[in-house]
Amino acid sequence: MTSAPDLSPPPLLKVAHLCKFFGRHMGCHDISFEVCPGEVIGVVGESGSGKSTLLNCIAGRLRPSNGSVCFKTPDGMEDLCRCDEARMRRIIRTRTGYVTQHAAQGLKMHISAGGNIGEKLMAAGTRHYGKIRDAALMWLDKVEIDPGRIDDLPSTFSGGMQQRLQIAANLVTAPEILLMDEPTSGLDVSVQARLIDVLRKLVFSLNLSMILVTHDLAVARLLCHRLYVMKQGEVVESGLSDQILDDPRKPYTQLLVSSVLKP
Amino acid sequence: MPIIPDTPENLNSPENPDTPDTPSWILNLEDIEKDFVFHHQQGTIMTVFNGFSHAFYPGKATILSGPSGSGKSTLLRMIYGTYKTESGHIRVRHQGREVDVAGASPALIYALRRDTIGYVSQFLRVVPRVSALDTVIEPLLARGVPQNEAAGAGRTLLERLHIPSTMWHLSATTFSGGEQQRINLARGFIAPYPILLLDEPTASLDLKNRETVIQLITEALKNNTCIIGVFHDPADHRSFADQVIDLSTHRCQETLPS
Repeated sequence: MTSAPDLSPPPLLKVAHLCKFFGRHMGCHDISFEVCPGEVIGVVGESGSGKSTLLNCIAGRLRPSNGSVCFKTPDGMEDLCRCDEARMRRIIRTRTGYVTQHAAQGLKMHISAGGNIGEKLMAAGTRHYGKIRDAALMWLDKVEIDPGRIDDLPSTFSGGMQQRLQIAANLVTAPEILLMDEPTSGLDVSVQARLIDVLRKLVFSLNLSMILVTHDLAVARLLCHRLYVMKQGEVVESGLSDQILDDPRKPYTQLLVSSVLKP
Repeated sequence: MPIIPDTPENLNSPENPDTPDTPSWILNLEDIEKDFVFHHQQGTIMTVFNGFSHAFYPGKATILSGPSGSGKSTLLRMIYGTYKTESGHIRVRHQGREVDVAGASPALIYALRRDTIGYVSQFLRVVPRVSALDTVIEPLLARGVPQNEAAGAGRTLLERLHIPSTMWHLSATTFSGGEQQRINLARGFIAPYPILLLDEPTASLDLKNRETVIQLITEALKNNTCIIGVFHDPADHRSFADQVIDLSTHRCQETLPS
């Protein structure tokens, strides 16, 4: 991604020495990084490399075994690993959005598209029905879904539309960081291009930060400012996207980059 | 403007020593080294630069010459921060202070690329669904220029590069090689940079567009931009080049592990 974020404000998120063990199995080990406003971070690596484990620890869905996950809040930097459950849920709800690979897990398929967007707003305290509906219409438009489909069920949407609806439902409460787990996989390429385009525009217009877990290096190059390459639970290499993809240093990164088929 | 022949004598002898009487450098390479290690090809090590130094000055055009593989594009990519520098310094004057691209933080590289160093690559990296005009004006928007003002500048530049207005709102994905290269050039020249790196910008252009590019380069030089370029056709740069660096004399050997 070429338009660069301004990194002078303090980071929104600081992950330090994060570890997650599943019994004796290591999910991820000693991972540290920061995310600044407007910055898109890609986490790449093959299946089982610990990418999703890392994302789930940041999203409060997994309790890290060690280390810290600090979010910038109005009360300063707060560590998810050192606050109570209620506080943690509040930080996650207000600071982050989470887009899953399978829209069915991120959306309520039995309520309307507008309902999916409005639900998040109601959870955040909005009660005025007219305002909720207006926000839903505006967000459908922003993610390029015909606002006329506001009362349709997500199950009648295509895969790409469901993914865009998921993004709208997450962004309606204006979180600062959007966490995404393989949002483009399983979509055919034209649909994928549209999703990427929508995401690029949102990042630019909202100065949104994202952490994107993907195994697709082309998607990573288009969307991410910086990349972290993971293998067996550890970060093996990190840097600007073009540094990682054009001048990979570590054996694993070279293997990953050289294995991509170029159409 | 004097034309300096491509001889090794011209190398490493900046005519403008860094004294108060002459303008100071904008970019200074000090003893830079670059190796590529191919871990999956028997650990082959390719050394491209082994202690190369050179200073570059505002308003001057430098042409990098040498056979393919001599490190011309590598040098441009090192200055832009795409290729990491093994050792040595790439010092740049950026917004009134001196910074080093080698070992720079991502934050600094973002800022350098937004405000100080422009780069026109050999090929446009096309983003699907983004219109040609939007591709061109992105560097201006990144600097906070309002959309309509940026679009105006973009249209003027696309007109100068003979891209028909019917194509401005199409994605460049389906454009020809020459058209894509002109979009790439427009994107590189739309925002003024103190340093502009050009990697074979005229390679796939016809004569008319080549002349436009030469004009754009000449205008940038008048605006005190330091230009460092690789040109496919030596005839292209005779009109504006201040110096030529032949990188073949800096060529280092390929080392195989024993």
